[in-house]
Amino acid sequence: MTKRRMFLRMITASLLRRRSRMLIALLSIGIGATILAGLVTIYVDVPRQMGAQFRSYGANMLLLPREGAVLNSESLSEALRQIPADQLVGAAPYRYVRLDMTTRQQSFTAAGTDFTQIVKTSPYFSVEGAYPAETRQVLVGKAIADTIGVKPGSTMELTYQPVSGAADKTPEESRVPGARLSGKVEGFGGGMVYVSAVLDDEARLLSVTVDASTQTPEYGGRVPEDEAFLRQFTGKSLPLTLGGGIDALTGATVTSSAVVDALNSATETAAAARPRTMNFTVTGILTTGGEEEGYVFLSLPDMEAMTGTDQLDVAELSVSAGADRLEAYAGAVSENCENVQARLVKRVARSEASVLEKLTALVFLVTLVVLLLTMICVSTTMMAVVSERRREIGLRKALGASDSSIRAEFLGEGLFLGLLGGVMGAVLGFVFAQVVSVNVFGSSITFQPLLLPAAVIVSMAIAAASCLLPIKHAVAIDPAVVLKGE
Amino acid sequence: MSLLELKNVSKIYGDLKALDNVSLHVDQGEWVAIMGPSGSGKSTMMNIIGCMDKPTSGEVLLDGVDISRESSKKLTDIRRDKIGLIFQQFHMVNYLTAVENVMVSQYYHSMPDEKEALEALGRVGLRERARHLPSQLSGGEQQRVCVARALINHPELILADEPTGNLDEANENIVLDLFAQLHKEGTTLIVVTHDPEVADAAQRTIVLEHGKVAREVINENFGK
Repeated sequence: MTKRRMFLRMITASLLRRRSRMLIALLSIGIGATILAGLVTIYVDVPRQMGAQFRSYGANMLLLPREGAVLNSESLSEALRQIPADQLVGAAPYRYVRLDMTTRQQSFTAAGTDFTQIVKTSPYFSVEGAYPAETRQVLVGKAIADTIGVKPGSTMELTYQPVSGAADKTPEESRVPGARLSGKVEGFGGGMVYVSAVLDDEARLLSVTVDASTQTPEYGGRVPEDEAFLRQFTGKSLPLTLGGGIDALTGATVTSSAVVDALNSATETAAAARPRTMNFTVTGILTTGGEEEGYVFLSLPDMEAMTGTDQLDVAELSVSAGADRLEAYAGAVSENCENVQARLVKRVARSEASVLEKLTALVFLVTLVVLLLTMICVSTTMMAVVSERRREIGLRKALGASDSSIRAEFLGEGLFLGLLGGVMGAVLGFVFAQVVSVNVFGSSITFQPLLLPAAVIVSMAIAAASCLLPIKHAVAIDPAVVLKGE
Repeated sequence: MSLLELKNVSKIYGDLKALDNVSLHVDQGEWVAIMGPSGSGKSTMMNIIGCMDKPTSGEVLLDGVDISRESSKKLTDIRRDKIGLIFQQFHMVNYLTAVENVMVSQYYHSMPDEKEALEALGRVGLRERARHLPSQLSGGEQQRVCVARALINHPELILADEPTGNLDEANENIVLDLFAQLHKEGTTLIVVTHDPEVADAAQRTIVLEHGKVAREVINENFGK
């Protein structure tokens, strides 16, 4: 038998046959290692956990139309391609308009949105009843519901009153089904040519009337009465070009051209703007504790049907990423999309970063304290073990053990305890972290394979460090203790 | 030829003179008993001879080497190489088996050898108790394990402190028979004892009183 085998035999015998004593030392190392391994696992996992957790506090990025550009479902999905799909928790589009409830003489802010996305971006929304699942259904904010007394199942008649002052609208925006357009363009000799037109249900020209009283009666002046000329416009979609389906009236080319130009630049007139009214079923009452309680929410298709446009005012995004990554995604959107700009909701992003920072600092601190406590605990236990084994140590020295042999034996026992405690700690620590994670964060964590060797090395180091003082005491024991009788 | 020689050895603890100018010598192969009442200086002498303590003054020559001024590290080496110790409380490592306890002595001395350790246990009649823990052995059996442990490294001197103090008569006789065998093989034995019967088994008895050698008695009947 070699000396090394005898050494291992003595150490394992000491630990295995003196179970009750060494169990305490093993427990203190094992529990310390368990908490350490658990905390480290959580520490590593915290940013991911908290990132997901923070997403329940609402959007952290906004997409807005650029100046002079339009945000709609098309430009929105283009912008969303700049953000990795697995990090995009949700993207809720919003279009805000005023809607009237004429039966009650009330007026509300209405938001057109995508309810499947709202659930993701604003998980804190609390709905009594259900989110609308179909068109012609609305979700009503609690404040409004209280005012007008609606419940899930009630019906509401909502009216969209197009904004007065046609100047606010571009010609393109004016071309909605049923719109009445009017326009004017300089004709022959500087006189104005006025046109007015009515659009059908598919926003095509239904009828066109022309006022050409400033034009030469024999030429341009004939335009308003020429049925063949006017009939050409019926069923055509704006904009038009002279020669492209529309032929000029012979001898009145300038005036004909003015009519086409006037139609192309015609806008919806206030007088002509026709209110649109639709009936809705209330599916749910929304409670948020915020301004949303003063809104009525309807689906985007309904909003488009009422306002005649698929424009959006804003999209709220919930992105599971840290402040730096978020900044990068916003930059990518601003760089690559010509219609859309991205803004961070600084308040949310910044508080996320600061909470994370504090949390990691806290975990670090607790880890340090646990480390210290473990060392004190192991050290105290080993100290007790040394004084309990005073006689045995004296005997070993009397039998010729050198100081370094005594040191090696106790250090060996300490390291062996550290090894066992470390393995125990890695396994139980993962279970501990898993339990914490499931209960606190509501999600499970993945086992870090590196945790096992790390826990073993750390707990062996702690055990060794904790043994230093007890070993010093062991070495100082006088071999003569074995002789003094008692 | 003397194996051990004490020249004017004193050990003083504060005001107490535990050993007071003691001189004696023990020859190679001799079997000597040291007797004396409690507080006569037996334990102090045992500690000094066993290289576990140093005298305040005087010289202690063990196998020609003065051990009275050596460092404790050197004393450990000398004790390990030359001396086999047997104690009254038959100290054993309580979580190691009988054979392992014998092997601990080999481990510190040179190389553990289980076969040799088992042979030593066979010599003290405990071959089949080799795998028992101390708690499973009687007092006499434990002391016999300690004898086996003391002789395993073939020491020049076996130093026994009240080896039969906690034993019944039957076990006392077994241990004394073992000592007689060791003596025949040429091992030097120093036995500290209270017991006149144990002292009578030795060739010579040194009686200590108040830290001094009071008298020496040669056992006329030795070997008869």
